[in-house]
Amino acid sequence: MIVIGMADYAVSRSPEKLTTLGLGSCVGIALYDPVAKIGGLIHIMLPTIENARFKDNCAKFADSGIPCLIEEMIRIGAVRRRLVAKIAGGAKMFSFNSDASLNIGERNVQATKMVLSEMKVPLISEDVGKNYGRTVLLDTDTGVYYIKSAIMGENII
Amino acid sequence: MIYDVSKLTEFHYSALKEISNIGIGNAVTSLAMMLGSEVKIMTPDLKVAKIEEVTEASGGADKLVSGVLMELSGGVNGYMVMLLPLESAKLICNIMTKQQNSNINDPMNESLISEVGHILGSAYMTAFSDLLKVDAFASAPFHIYDMIGAIMDNILIQMSQEVEHAIILNTLFTLKGNDMHGKLLTLFDPTSLELILEQVNALFH
Repeated sequence: MIVIGMADYAVSRSPEKLTTLGLGSCVGIALYDPVAKIGGLIHIMLPTIENARFKDNCAKFADSGIPCLIEEMIRIGAVRRRLVAKIAGGAKMFSFNSDASLNIGERNVQATKMVLSEMKVPLISEDVGKNYGRTVLLDTDTGVYYIKSAIMGENII
Repeated sequence: MIYDVSKLTEFHYSALKEISNIGIGNAVTSLAMMLGSEVKIMTPDLKVAKIEEVTEASGGADKLVSGVLMELSGGVNGYMVMLLPLESAKLICNIMTKQQNSNINDPMNESLISEVGHILGSAYMTAFSDLLKVDAFASAPFHIYDMIGAIMDNILIQMSQEVEHAIILNTLFTLKGNDMHGKLLTLFDPTSLELILEQVNALFH
């Protein structure tokens, strides 16, 4: 099993499992090529690298991270037109009164969907929003995306 | 201006730890008075971590805890986070409400835990601002029972837009023997460091 940290990603062939822990407003995007049985998982923090002060880590942002992830999957043998996506996270955990940028979770989800559609990767299922954290796991053998939360238990998408 | 965290010296580290020690001492004494019990405080641990690594440095992203968050404003920018294991949070509720087996998702108990966090946070910041003559205070508290990663990623997202590193002061405290323990994390935005270090220099030289 490969554990992916915040603002990081990993790709692998079957039967490896990819996981990332404790997503709150962050989004865990799982991409999968069901024929080659190659999976990729990224844990993004922010919607866009545009106007970001620090641009050194592409995995931090939806719009720079997803292309990085796709490229890496292709490099190990995935075929781009076969890729499908499943996403989880983007919760609204709380908000401070002074927060100008309300609901970063929702903005992360919106940006993720936009980038996926621009890159022509179909989004086949999602478990996003609400107000609780999620731990996710992608099984590269089956493409099943497991989502665990403290409050809602396990969800399989 | 962005302060270069790599320029922190040993002296700065120990001064920040010492200040934190006084802050936490103040904070936990108030809690001990509320709960009527003895307190033990460990020496604070001070770390400079990349934003992406803060949740792991705070005890593991998927660990379930009762967390109270406060935003710091005024002379310094940052956040304070109190993290309590479920059993410790329950014990505090049991003592305060004189009940058995408290449910921490009960709104009454949630606000009770929030208040405990707020008392700790405010006492800490009062000591901090008195000592350093910096006007800083903690916002209203938010309580969440969830995974550490999920509790903290929102504030890390906010911080990551301005800075690459966070200064983490992590203090363990125990009450009632060792039955109750918790963590108080203070995350400073390095942009606040310049001011803090200026005051530290003035104070210790």
